[in-house]
Amino acid sequence: QCFIFSITVNANLTSLPEKHLVLLRDGRTLIGYLRSIDQFANLVLHQTVERIHVGKKYGDIPRGIFVVRGENVVLLGEIDLEKESDTPLQQVSIEEILEEQRVEQQAKQESEKLKVQALKERGLSIPRADTLDEY
Amino acid sequence: KIVNLICTMEHNATLEKNNSLEDCPLDEDEDAFQTLGEEDEDINQFNDDTFGAGAIDDDWQEAHERLAELEDKPATARELEDGAVSDEMELLGHHEENLAERLSKLVIENELEDPAIMQAVQTQPPMQQSGGLNSSIWDGSAVLRRFRGPLLTQEMPSVSVLEYAMLQKPPQGQEDERDLSERALPRRSSSPIIGSPPVRAVPIGTPPKQATMPNFIQQILCPKPVHIRAPMQQRYPSPYGERMSPNQLCNVSNSSLLGHPFPPSVTPVFTHLQRAQLLGGAQAGRMSPSQFARVSGLVGSPLTSMNPKLLQGRVGQMMAPASGFRAFFGAPPPPAPPSSQQQHPPCPGSHLQNLRPHPQMFRPDTTHLHPQHRRLLHQRQQQNRNQHRSLNGSAGDRAGHRSSHQEQLRKDPYANLMLQREKDWVSKIQMMQLQSTDPYLDDFYYQNYFQKLEKVSAAEEMHGDGPKKERTKLITPQVAKLEHAYKPVQFEGSLGKLTVSSVNNPRKMIDAVVTSRSEDDETKEKQVRDKRRQTLVTIEKTYSLLLDVEDYERRYLLSLEGERPALMEERKQKICDMYDNLRGKTPGQERPSDDHFVQIMCIRKGKRMVARILPFLSTEQAADILMATARNLPFLIKKDAQDEVLLCLLRPFSLVLYHLPLGTVTSLLQQLANLPQSATVPAPANLHLTAVLQNKFGLSLLYLVLSRGEELQNSSAAMELMQDNQWTELMSMATRELLRIPEAALAKPVSTPSNLLSLFSRYVDQQKLNVLETKLQ
Repeated sequence: QCFIFSITVNANLTSLPEKHLVLLRDGRTLIGYLRSIDQFANLVLHQTVERIHVGKKYGDIPRGIFVVRGENVVLLGEIDLEKESDTPLQQVSIEEILEEQRVEQQAKQESEKLKVQALKERGLSIPRADTLDEY
Repeated sequence: KIVNLICTMEHNATLEKNNSLEDCPLDEDEDAFQTLGEEDEDINQFNDDTFGAGAIDDDWQEAHERLAELEDKPATARELEDGAVSDEMELLGHHEENLAERLSKLVIENELEDPAIMQAVQTQPPMQQSGGLNSSIWDGSAVLRRFRGPLLTQEMPSVSVLEYAMLQKPPQGQEDERDLSERALPRRSSSPIIGSPPVRAVPIGTPPKQATMPNFIQQILCPKPVHIRAPMQQRYPSPYGERMSPNQLCNVSNSSLLGHPFPPSVTPVFTHLQRAQLLGGAQAGRMSPSQFARVSGLVGSPLTSMNPKLLQGRVGQMMAPASGFRAFFGAPPPPAPPSSQQQHPPCPGSHLQNLRPHPQMFRPDTTHLHPQHRRLLHQRQQQNRNQHRSLNGSAGDRAGHRSSHQEQLRKDPYANLMLQREKDWVSKIQMMQLQSTDPYLDDFYYQNYFQKLEKVSAAEEMHGDGPKKERTKLITPQVAKLEHAYKPVQFEGSLGKLTVSSVNNPRKMIDAVVTSRSEDDETKEKQVRDKRRQTLVTIEKTYSLLLDVEDYERRYLLSLEGERPALMEERKQKICDMYDNLRGKTPGQERPSDDHFVQIMCIRKGKRMVARILPFLSTEQAADILMATARNLPFLIKKDAQDEVLLCLLRPFSLVLYHLPLGTVTSLLQQLANLPQSATVPAPANLHLTAVLQNKFGLSLLYLVLSRGEELQNSSAAMELMQDNQWTELMSMATRELLRIPEAALAKPVSTPSNLLSLFSRYVDQQKLNVLETKLQ
């Protein structure tokens, strides 16, 4: 029905900028300082970083200022700065993570192809999920 | 001048018309020419102001530089003060007290001094509003943001700036008229209530404008507007309309710097106050009555009495909401009041408590926060407070990261990009979305979820004095249902009514007529399909009834005494209807045909529904259902192969069984075994029973029936004599079947009642008993 975001009050209370993590509908993860928000959940993120996760590794791509249209937001959460460093994930360089991502996508596509083939042989066909809401 | 202009224009028009005529008196012509000449001058002047030299404001660069200087100054000032945060705090604390006094003085002074100004001030809002409508949030916030730098640096008396901004208009004589015609934008067309809710001046989606604020500021903090306006006059012949360009405001601010009556040391508190007033103004504007109820009680309308005492109190109260600016001004919240209030007696915010009439003030802007989040917030607040206090206390041994924290506090220039006011506005919208007249209808799952949680926590509490977790619900505003009798708008003298459809008044657009097909055309397939559809429709209808019936308990609790019998009646009626639906109403006859019921039971939803309905039915009706199920069990089993939903019926069936007398149980068993009433034909292989045994549900049901029968047998000795034959027969039948069937084919029952063995032991010998035993396991 609707969302209550309490960061609106919180963000000003401590005057210490809090990082927020936004998950978008297309699966992207953005991390940045939330500067502004409105009733549609349109967001303004400052010093945004797009974080790509592959397995246990992740890579950050700096993106600058992001303005996100509200309908594309899946969820938005605050990052606990103390716990942020306390993660089992390993940060790698951008090139590396992009490479890993590419490899992962390829593997997924191949397995998908095999699946579709197998189903076709059995006379079944699953309609392809359209691009947007795919994770 | 305008009047003259118009007259001359009209005159010119008539002159043109009468060109050929020679009636025009000569002197009129001369006048016309004269006025034309004057017109030209005016036009030139106007042009100049619009497009020419008068329009260019070269000074914005200088103004900007001056502002930049300002920013640098306090940076240095800050560094000096680095070690003296505590002093600052104390200073501010004192200043607040002084402020209150000064404010009270101001107000009195103001009232006595310049009633004319007060009048002028009060006439401003309409114009400002209309201007404000056109100005976007970016204007306002851009303007404010310009001064946030100064705000943060605590040097700029930005209060006065904005006040000056709004003070520019009225007394300019000629300017006024031009203002009115050129600048005053027409009110947003508020269409008559043609099927729309009452139109506010501003549509609901626009962010708050600042029109509400300056009034208050002017009334309270109007510091000698007369002398300050003088230097401004030159600026104002600019046709930029009500929106002051940032340039102008910069200039305004600079000039105000020159002759500001208040000592700079007080200004930090002003900024506080301003924000508080912003908050107050915005909040007093539009708020739904239930939410922020406390706030409205505390803040009150800024336009009301200028009673200094009230003001003082209000100031104190409003300081608290604006506490976001400084962490240590945070008001201790009610959830944890006693401890925090005790902890911070030295806190400068403590004097606030003296001013506040409500000691346990709920932080108004956090009312809508989820309780868990509020807790987190206050934890953080306390952390910050502790940090500050530790800084105060031990100036020497500051932890390294704490000082950097302090640095970060200052260095993040974007921290307060969104004003508190804006945030509250957005939160307000969200809260409005939560308003609901019937929460159980709108947000069923949430309500149920919280009910369950509460039950769990209540149960926990019962068991012991464990730490009670705060599981308070988010306080959502509850709005009473309002019945609007909509009356379509009518214009006088017209025939008929306007047909305009809107959200509140929907109109039928398409006349869709349902035509039912005739029976003749249909083929067999279609008939089958229709029949299935019929069944589905029946299921849906019955389900609605079921949901209603299930809801009656809650409604009962909520209703008044007088209404309850009616509710009960309704409920009963609905239950009857449900049963009729299930069994298929056949007018006049007995109910020979199970067909209807079986059809329902073939559909997964139907089975689930029956399971839910059973508890509501009377014993007879329930028994009837059981019978019907048992009678058709193999068929149902076959149909259920894919769904496997029959098992959901086990529980309600067993519950029903416990209420059944032996006779019924016996006949039930009969049905299960599919024996005709007069057991004349011994069937060597009872297919019905076999099927039953091979199915999980069937077998479980059989066991249940058997076990129930056994119970009854044991309990009531008198009945035993009458029923014995039948029962024994059935029992032997059942046991024979059980023995016959290979173990592999036997289904796994849901549960094996414990008394079965003893039951069997009465009818079979030991050897067979052993076999049965193994099979039972």
